[in-house]
Amino acid sequence: MNPPIPQFPRSRRQFLRDGARAAALTGLGGLFALTAERAGGRPRVWQIDPQKCVRCGNCATHCVLEQSAVKCVHAHAICGYCQLCTGYFEPEPNELNTAAENCLCPTAAIKRTYVEDPYYEYSIDEGLCIGCAKCVEGCNRFGNGSLFLQVRHDRCLNCNECAISKACPVDAFQRIPADHPYLLKTMAHGA
Amino acid sequence: MKPSNRLTRRQFLRRGALGSGWVAVAGAALTASRGRGRAAAADANPFAYDLGNAAHTDPKLIHYETAAAFASGVGDARRLAFGPGDRLHVAGKTAITILDLRGAKLQEIPLAAPARCVAVGPDGMIYAGLRDHVEVFDASGRKLASWESPGKKVWLSGLAVGEKGIFAADAGNRVVLRYDPAGKVTARIGERNKQRNVPGLIVPSPYLDVALGPDGLLRVNNPGRHCIDIYTPDGDLELSWGKPTAAIEGFCGCCNPIAIEVLPDGRHLTCEKGLPRVKVYSATGQFDCVVAGPESFPENAKTGSISDKSDGVLGGLDAAVDSQGRICTLDLVTGRVAVMKAKAKV
Repeated sequence: MNPPIPQFPRSRRQFLRDGARAAALTGLGGLFALTAERAGGRPRVWQIDPQKCVRCGNCATHCVLEQSAVKCVHAHAICGYCQLCTGYFEPEPNELNTAAENCLCPTAAIKRTYVEDPYYEYSIDEGLCIGCAKCVEGCNRFGNGSLFLQVRHDRCLNCNECAISKACPVDAFQRIPADHPYLLKTMAHGA
Repeated sequence: MKPSNRLTRRQFLRRGALGSGWVAVAGAALTASRGRGRAAAADANPFAYDLGNAAHTDPKLIHYETAAAFASGVGDARRLAFGPGDRLHVAGKTAITILDLRGAKLQEIPLAAPARCVAVGPDGMIYAGLRDHVEVFDASGRKLASWESPGKKVWLSGLAVGEKGIFAADAGNRVVLRYDPAGKVTARIGERNKQRNVPGLIVPSPYLDVALGPDGLLRVNNPGRHCIDIYTPDGDLELSWGKPTAAIEGFCGCCNPIAIEVLPDGRHLTCEKGLPRVKVYSATGQFDCVVAGPESFPENAKTGSISDKSDGVLGGLDAAVDSQGRICTLDLVTGRVAVMKAKAKV
């Protein structure tokens, strides 16, 4: 009678197969956990961090929409209501009036309304705004930075791969939770 | 014997390594070209904000040269003031720091809250403007008094000391407060008053400054109106000068100048933000010369360079004049001080 052949619990092939399965499952679980964490269980939308934005003009030219979904918005609470608003007027205007040659906005999207001497209120006509950030640059350079860019979600298609975010030179485009879809400024030059 | 098409292990590894190398090179090239594309896209902005010639200063107009420059070493440095012996006082986040004109620290007076402005009397008394009140120290740094806050929304941003009292510029309420030596408010200067023909101070951001001239009159910047107002210590408006323009002779942007000083000969020294410039005007407001243009403050001149500053400090400059007419400039973005002296006349 031959001596009994020792029975190994698994063959090498079985061991490798099981190992590969375990690794694949672990990886899949990790991927799922990562996705769940990033999504936070909530849908996300694109938005611009106004602190990072460098006003490069790409928002006006890279959106897949005919007219960009990025618009200038105005934090009235931090606006100086200046008579000579550098977001509204050219750096060296001939006169402080609404004549086109004195105005900075290429599409006349900023409306200027007299409040009292010497204060004026400025508001954005989003139907005309193309998100070029020219006014944002003027306001941030000299003023309180109350004008800034935001993705308007009534227009944005929320593409998986946003064309503007790819062109953004400073990664100012972010995915943020859809239930808090704006990054608004609440103090001068601060987000 | 039939030739085998199979690769040896060595061939397989060699070809594999070669293939991986080519993939890595292609990937690197693609990444670099993408980066260049991004940079090019940023450079070629069809909507660029163009300041034109205003961003550069005609060298012929610069009548001062740098005698010394140093880092103030003061966190969140806001304002400068000279005291007796031409000791430079710097208002900062945690202290009033006293320096010599080579940047060596002579003394430090610790504070419980950030100082937004400072002034020194001829007797060496030091007045520190905190956000909503004034604190008084003797020359050795001993605290003598902490004056009561004059009210709500107070945002002190400038101080001056003279025979007629201590004058504190309150940007929050758009007024200059005149204090007696005991800390009591005795007058409010610069508020809109039709009877006294005072149009009022327009202060869109927290930059209101006050300086006393050798004639005993107060100089107050009025940034929203792009001018300097000159008042008597009782609050009568004597003169107002200045005009809005990005050109060198005027005040640029929405709200400038942001700081004012008076030279020993009665001429005015102004500082601007946005286009950081330090300039000299005559006693009646005619443009005289440039002390330092935007080229001297490259970091300060960048839009957004001040975005990490807190509580409404938006960058800009301050300046002070010593007894010999030397001008010290403070770059609020970098914290650097430059000592400027008049160029020798040819």
